[in-house]
Amino acid sequence: MSRLPTPSPPALHAPHTRPPRRRASVGLALGLGLLVLFAGIRLFAPDATGDLLSNSVQDFFTLSISVVIESLPFVFLGILLSIAVQVWLPEGFLLRHLPRNAVARRVTISLLGVLLPVCECGNVPLARGLILRGLTVGESMTFLLAAPILNPVTIITTYQAFGWDDGILVARILGGFVIANLIGWIYSRHPSPMSLLTPTFQASCAHAHDEVRSSRTRRSVDMFTTETAAMLPALFVGSAVAGLIQVAVSRDLLVTLGQNPVLSVFALMALAFVIAICSNVDAFFILAFGSTFMPGAVVAFLVFGPMIDVKMLALMRTTFTARTLVQLTIIVGLASAALGLGVNAVA
Amino acid sequence: MRSRLIARWQGILLSLIGIVATVWLAATDRLGLYIHPRYFWFTVIMAGIAAVLVVAAFAFAPLREAEHEHEPGAELGGEDGPDHEPAHRHRSEASRAGRLRGALAALIVAGAAIALLVLPPTTLTSSTATQRSINSTGSTLGGEAPTLVGGDTSQFSVKDWALLLRQNPDAEYFAEQDVAVTGFVTPSPDDPENVFYVARFVVTCCAVDAQPVGVPVYFPDWEESFAADQWVAASGAFVPNEGSTSAEPLLLSPDDVTVTEQPEQPYVF
Repeated sequence: MSRLPTPSPPALHAPHTRPPRRRASVGLALGLGLLVLFAGIRLFAPDATGDLLSNSVQDFFTLSISVVIESLPFVFLGILLSIAVQVWLPEGFLLRHLPRNAVARRVTISLLGVLLPVCECGNVPLARGLILRGLTVGESMTFLLAAPILNPVTIITTYQAFGWDDGILVARILGGFVIANLIGWIYSRHPSPMSLLTPTFQASCAHAHDEVRSSRTRRSVDMFTTETAAMLPALFVGSAVAGLIQVAVSRDLLVTLGQNPVLSVFALMALAFVIAICSNVDAFFILAFGSTFMPGAVVAFLVFGPMIDVKMLALMRTTFTARTLVQLTIIVGLASAALGLGVNAVA
Repeated sequence: MRSRLIARWQGILLSLIGIVATVWLAATDRLGLYIHPRYFWFTVIMAGIAAVLVVAAFAFAPLREAEHEHEPGAELGGEDGPDHEPAHRHRSEASRAGRLRGALAALIVAGAAIALLVLPPTTLTSSTATQRSINSTGSTLGGEAPTLVGGDTSQFSVKDWALLLRQNPDAEYFAEQDVAVTGFVTPSPDDPENVFYVARFVVTCCAVDAQPVGVPVYFPDWEESFAADQWVAASGAFVPNEGSTSAEPLLLSPDDVTVTEQPEQPYVF
């Protein structure tokens, strides 16, 4: 960004050439204009456009749209909570009361998700904020991996979807807790934990206290802009992939894989990796497959998915080095597979 | 430059598209085509809160951009923001990557607008019903079956009858029972010429988990009278399967099948 004149729309660069009030009203007018434009398209789009599509294409859109409509409010909620913690709570509010003993500290951190019921999409920015506020790298990983599973929204939706059937709920909660603490312990033994972080993020840790000086409201709105810019493209692409898989993958193939106690676990972990669905709603998603797969496979899906998937890796890459993420994926993958196979062996 | 702008504002644009679509679906009573009614209020309230933030985002200048403009050297000298690219050493590479990201962002915004703002909302079709195999075992059909004896069978839905048929496929149990169901026509996979299902989707959370349930109807050469996906009301009684290769032990022998309108709430919950 230089001071050179640019061809971009004036409303977005106005603050330095126009008084703030003028800029705000131009921005507002632009926003309301877009709102009216979108509402107009929606109101006047002819119903006949749907008739051009074949049944499968129509179903692809219906399925993808339903994932978006379902997940969007949860993603908004996650962003609001992460804004609340980073902008509105006093600094150190969450970390001041943590136990000093390393193990007890990680256990407490893995339960922080109860206070911050966000799914994994909202967790990455939160974990980054917590590292900046003094959490160690290992502890931040414990939080990152545990919070999407050990939070009230996920537990309630998993209960709504499965009840106490086959111990799926219990295995998910305990499995998530153990794996997150295991990872935290492994990385707490790393000789130089800062080398696990990307150079960019290391640099911003060094400047952690040079915060932008501005009102809380403005910082909140700014965080909303940056967070939606990171989360929503991932959400829309993830939903489209989920819809595509639903239409394209034949149920026969899944049924064949699902009846094998070993293969079904890996098939569903692969599915979790690809569809990248939010942990708050993934229990309902997999419910559609509940009949097809063995309970251990469902558990592996519900434990592995919130921790590692395409979208999560992309988000975590902003903070951790690629090498770290490969290790993390392998350890979490092996642990989830072991858990799933164990549940299948018992069931 | 323009691509950077799109990349920066795509979150706000996508939010706005999602909010407009959600509110419009709720206002026209069609949110039920995508999600379970228990999420209606939560969805609408979060859309309202997000709408306030989106409007505010338009009114305020982005902080980080403002910050860069105060410090012209920032981009060359140091990595001052968590979202900052370390690629400043390779400027041309970075700008190419930026253009690519901008193009991708524009593509996602356009796709979202088409899916959510242009296409008319519809139900799932019989192609998904066939692909997901009707009345397959599973938690959707594991629910409480209504009691047939003494129950008000005139109020029974496709789901109720499908549950009963699964739990008690015994002809005598259903003798003398009048059955009346409404659903869309889906061909039977094992005897598509003589048997079709009067089917509905059961939704637990959102349309992604929709499971088809249906009552099999014995109607030789039904394709001359009806088409797949057409909504019909069928009435009759269950009889043992004799003339069909379908695996269903009981089939509805219809007294009457009439074409009808798609109901306001096409899914059952």
